[in-house]
Amino acid sequence: MSTVTLPENCDRAAAAVMLPELAALAGGVPLEIDGTSVRQIGQAMLQVLLSARRSGPGAIISASPALREAARITGLEAALLDLEAA
Amino acid sequence: MTPEDIQNIFFAECEESLAAAEAGLSSCRAGAADGDTVNAIFRAVHSIKGGAGAFGHMPLQGFTHIFETLLSEVREGQVAMSPALVDLMLRALDVLSDHVSAARDDTPAPDDSALTAELIAAQQGGDAAAAAPAPVAPAAPAADRPSIDMQVAPDEGDFDLDALLNDISPAAAAEADGLRWKIYIRPHPGALNNGGEPVLLLRELTELGGECLACDISDVPTLDALDPLETYLGWTFSMPEAVSRDDVADIFDFIDEDCQVLFDEADFPQIAAITPLAADEVVASGADPASAGQVVSANAAPGAAGAANAAAAGGQSIRIDLAKLDRLIDGVGELVIAQAMLAQRVQGTEASHCEELGMLETLLREVQESAMSFRAQPIAAVFNRVPRLLRELAATTGKHVRLTIAGETTELDKTVVERLGEPLTHLIRNAVDHGIEQVVDRLEAGKPVEGTLSLSAEHRSGRIVIRIADDGRGIDRYRVLNKAIEKGLVSADAQLTDEEIDNLIFAPGFSTAEQVSNISGRGVGMDVVRQNVKELGGRITIESTPGVGTAFVMTLPLTLAISDGMIVQVGDQTLVIPLAHVVESLRPQPGEVQGLGAGCQMLNIRGRFIPILELHGAVGSAGAPPKAEGGVVIVVESEGSGRAALLVDSITDQRQFVIKSLDTHYRTVDGVAGATILGDGGVALILDVDGLVAAAIAKRPATAPVAMREAA
Repeated sequence: MSTVTLPENCDRAAAAVMLPELAALAGGVPLEIDGTSVRQIGQAMLQVLLSARRSGPGAIISASPALREAARITGLEAALLDLEAA
Repeated sequence: MTPEDIQNIFFAECEESLAAAEAGLSSCRAGAADGDTVNAIFRAVHSIKGGAGAFGHMPLQGFTHIFETLLSEVREGQVAMSPALVDLMLRALDVLSDHVSAARDDTPAPDDSALTAELIAAQQGGDAAAAAPAPVAPAAPAADRPSIDMQVAPDEGDFDLDALLNDISPAAAAEADGLRWKIYIRPHPGALNNGGEPVLLLRELTELGGECLACDISDVPTLDALDPLETYLGWTFSMPEAVSRDDVADIFDFIDEDCQVLFDEADFPQIAAITPLAADEVVASGADPASAGQVVSANAAPGAAGAANAAAAGGQSIRIDLAKLDRLIDGVGELVIAQAMLAQRVQGTEASHCEELGMLETLLREVQESAMSFRAQPIAAVFNRVPRLLRELAATTGKHVRLTIAGETTELDKTVVERLGEPLTHLIRNAVDHGIEQVVDRLEAGKPVEGTLSLSAEHRSGRIVIRIADDGRGIDRYRVLNKAIEKGLVSADAQLTDEEIDNLIFAPGFSTAEQVSNISGRGVGMDVVRQNVKELGGRITIESTPGVGTAFVMTLPLTLAISDGMIVQVGDQTLVIPLAHVVESLRPQPGEVQGLGAGCQMLNIRGRFIPILELHGAVGSAGAPPKAEGGVVIVVESEGSGRAALLVDSITDQRQFVIKSLDTHYRTVDGVAGATILGDGGVALILDVDGLVAAAIAKRPATAPVAMREAA
């Protein structure tokens, strides 16, 4: 498994940086995305994460409280964090 | 636009909102607490909250939220408007304005805990009165709703914002009843531009009691097809009944065009709900006739608000960076000079009479006037800060002052408006501290307990006249004179007129206050005021009547950049006399000039004698001065020193000139207000008529008045 660590501030610029990285890694195995240090996350990065979940074998995201909270507010808890939904 | 630019717009709008709220509260205090007024205050506070949330200024947002909640209760009639409440809200507004400054300057947020407690108490007082006839402990309004476990009684002094938000949010209370409505939000790619963040807005919805029912992720492509700048998500939120559509629309105000917001469920795209439970709720509320009615009534509200907005907007406006505007105005100034040069170049040739040249001049003048009007701002921008100042002064001095304002729509240049704040503050502090008496003394003098301060502004012959008048004790001339003698500012045997004594208070280091208070009395205030006004090219005069009051009158130019003037020739010098000062020009007839004593001449104009000033001496020009009889004199009006006749060789032209500061390029010169570039490229000095006349008259204080009396 390949692990990708998300930065603290997941704004649009961070999303633009992470996207090619994730796209390059996506392939045979599920991506492991370490989001435990995320303090802020915006729509752009949420979309990247969603996309990663929907691509190929999907992705497993470990969430920080901030990321979990953002997922809750945006109604994306299941789509992003549920193990089964991948 | 960078995120900083957007923030700056937000802060500029904060200032406007604060001013609007202040105006609204003032009319409430005057007894006009109708629905529209309260609504206006609410909207003002609300829009600050919206921006604060979007930019992540949490303390500001927290405070506005509490303030807003109270206002919303007032709006809905749950809390009655009372003078005490208006007072509380005014204080809250002051703290709010401190919060805004703190957010803008990135300094620590002000301590608002005491006021927050008061605001909550006021709101809960209303709650208790409205909701429960039986006495309910004000600290625990939630006692009868034990089912809602998020409600936490606020801990005095130390506030947990989240607990507070939950506690006072009407949403929390309404949740149990379940009458909710829905909204669909779909940000466009533009919503992510300029640091915009839809997630923050959704967070605000959640704070209002909103709940995400579904997030439409069907458009999200796989990683290889994903564009990080595109937006793929759409949300359906359910909002509590207590939250109005306006409240929600306000949140999205900032990204209005970059976000699709739908209120009508019929328009919603089909989305699979997150949970079956939520789906049930969709059906249930959709079928509920009560909630359908709700939708209709809520529907009407934005329509009405929209109409009101359209009416208020009237003309459309655009925000421009001031630096850009100044570049334009500079450019226009240079154009004026170039036009003058052109006119001069073709003078005497055939081309000088061509129609196009005249057209150019007319057009240029129009362009210039429009350019200058861009910079014009109503003086209300300064006047609006006065009520707060008076409240603070009332708190420190115990003197309550009623404020009357006239002519606040008078417009003048932005630079003048900005630099007016400091002298005005000094003058008002001075008026309250020294002018208006203590209550006991006022009663003794048969005056109303509350002092009155009148501010007025008006245009008068190309200048703006600002008057700050109090109904206090007036200037104690005896004491002022004694103090001045004591401080060695005047000699003990000086014979001064009332006006001269009054003007002593502008002398550096002068203060009559027996005790130096922290408001005024350090003796730095008034000379700074005069300096400030002088720097603006204005003058300040005093009108004081003992026992009745004092008025300070500031006369300021409307703009600091361009002015009309008369170009005159004095010996080998070309000078400009600002047209604002010129009354008339004439050639004295024999017999109209009378010599008085040592080198002093008076001109008889229709029975009135005014002194003649020879400009040759004043500017150190070579050549002998012309004779007054048969020469050219220009009668000028000066602030403070009355009229005088300036003797010159000839008048060459009358035109607009661009003022170039002499202070910044050289240094301050007495009697010279600045310089300008003439059509031929030469530099001409602009006369400081007031200073020149005052200095010339001061030079012969002993002879002139005596001579005048003899002449009379």
